[in-house]
Amino acid sequence: MRWMENLSDTQYAYLLLIPVFVLLGVVALYPLLRTFELSLYAVSTDLTSTSFVGIDNYVGLFTGEKNRYLPGGTTFLPSSFEFTSLLNSALVITIIFAVVSVLFETLIGLGQALILDQDFYGRRWVRAAIIIPWAVPIVIQGMIFFLMFNSNVGFATPPLADLGLLAPTNTLNDTASATFIIIVADIWKTSAFMALLILAGLQSIDRGLYDVAKVAGATKWQQFKLITFPLILPTIGVAVLFRSVQAMRVYGIIDTVSSCAVVPSLSCMVVATFNTREGTSAAIAFVTAAIIGLVVMGIIVWQGEDAI
Amino acid sequence: MATTTQEPEDSDGPLARWTQGAIQNPERVYRALFYAAMVFFLVTTLFPFYWLAVLAVTPEGNLLAGSFLPTVNLFGVSGTFPLPVPKGFNPAAFVTVFEQVPFHLYMLNSFALAVTTTVIVLFVASLAGYVFGRLRFPGRALLMLGILAISYFPPAAFVIPLFQAFAGNEAITIPFTSIPLFTPPRLLNTPGSMVLPFSALFMPLSIFILTTFYGQIPDGLEDAARVEGTTRLGALFRVIMPLSAPGVATASVLTFIAVYNEYFFSSIMATSPEAAKWSPIVGGILSYQTQYTTQFNLMAAASIVGVLPVVILVIVAQERIVSGLTSGALKE
Repeated sequence: MRWMENLSDTQYAYLLLIPVFVLLGVVALYPLLRTFELSLYAVSTDLTSTSFVGIDNYVGLFTGEKNRYLPGGTTFLPSSFEFTSLLNSALVITIIFAVVSVLFETLIGLGQALILDQDFYGRRWVRAAIIIPWAVPIVIQGMIFFLMFNSNVGFATPPLADLGLLAPTNTLNDTASATFIIIVADIWKTSAFMALLILAGLQSIDRGLYDVAKVAGATKWQQFKLITFPLILPTIGVAVLFRSVQAMRVYGIIDTVSSCAVVPSLSCMVVATFNTREGTSAAIAFVTAAIIGLVVMGIIVWQGEDAI
Repeated sequence: MATTTQEPEDSDGPLARWTQGAIQNPERVYRALFYAAMVFFLVTTLFPFYWLAVLAVTPEGNLLAGSFLPTVNLFGVSGTFPLPVPKGFNPAAFVTVFEQVPFHLYMLNSFALAVTTTVIVLFVASLAGYVFGRLRFPGRALLMLGILAISYFPPAAFVIPLFQAFAGNEAITIPFTSIPLFTPPRLLNTPGSMVLPFSALFMPLSIFILTTFYGQIPDGLEDAARVEGTTRLGALFRVIMPLSAPGVATASVLTFIAVYNEYFFSSIMATSPEAAKWSPIVGGILSYQTQYTTQFNLMAAASIVGVLPVVILVIVAQERIVSGLTSGALKE
């Protein structure tokens, strides 16, 4: 081990990083490049050989020619701007899921963070209770909402169907209803995560500012509007982008509560097609990665060095 | 005018008195709003577990008979009780759940996968955390950015080539060429096919947490150890790592929970949901959903059993989870 002592800082740094490079190279970089390569090939009609087709798979996805390989009546892009065809589009439903769930998670997370920021008796237990959904395995989260809205034992369907929010029968096989339930499930699980991120922002605010505000006669609402909110806005911004990226991956909760043919998210479409239509599947996977890559670029450009 | 508002406190009810007080002292309104919001959040987060408990103790024969929302008759007015209540009581489902499917074996698989991943992640992330937290070298910022960027990509972008490689049918070639490198062993249905993607997926968070913690150890302590004759690597594992015990604990807890919760690779890499083929709890729970489609009490009981380890972990280690998520996750 003597030779290690004589290395320069730079040499030593790269030596210690070898395991990271190997692991990320094998499990992330190689698959990413290979996915792109696969997306440029197509399987022949007799499924025995593959041939190079360039960007045909991508063109096929965006023109709708590949839609016949997707499960159910799913399309990649929406075929029209009607509500049902929007929901049948893998791209649109993934974006709807991400936007709606992240919006509500941010609002609820902000509420939870404001509560946890106070000092009160039993705060520790309240905080544990609020974090628990975040730690629940996805398959159990899915099971909970499956059992709540199942047509045999689910008690929650009739009241919500009376309000017109859900289809009264066959609820979990109805795209709009299942999407609604999956969004609610995601909000239940992930609001706590947003709450913790926002709480970190809240706790970094200088308490002296509130003393000044009190002396100046500001009400609680004015304190929130003029001090708290502007100061945590950057934190909320990063948290929202970060969560959106995660939400775009949605798969497990759909697979457990409903099925990929009913709620066709992008990840769902990759899994549903990768055994039979490798090229199409790889093209969808790469488009998903590209969309997420754009959002990530946004975060990095916006945050600069602070992102690290 | 003034004569009509004499002595309101005596004649009014408690609500009116509270309102009077609230107008004079708005602090009381905020306090009331605060407790209302707190109760609302507690009920919404904990209610789903109550529902699982209701289902789990309801005897199988009563599951489909009638509604879980009983009709109550209160002072001659009948209405639906807004909270589901068990239809009978029979806790036997908590025993049956282990008999019908070897649910304990699925949980053991999950534990084994989570512990193995955590050990690998801690070792690799410790080396990287030391490098990023304590060494200055060209390319540092770019490398951290690269690790950050990779961690954002969706698992779906990795799964097709990984599945093919783990199937072990054909040789791995360098992308965009046909130069074969080696033929990998068949890893599907073994821990390797899950531990490898888990490690890569969850390592970046641990790297960022450990970078923060290792960066905070004063240089003097490391130098003192080196003067005593410890090697460079020895200083990392015998001085810096023990001194950063809270950071190491945080990274372990978060990695363990992340693996225990994972769905995507757990469901794809274990091609059949059998405990003998290393399927984790994802397979165990789903086999109740697909094979025993009407035994909803067993599905609920299995979910409760499966969720217990993480609930205990959250209660015991919540300080670590909070600090880890707030310090590391924003950066990851």
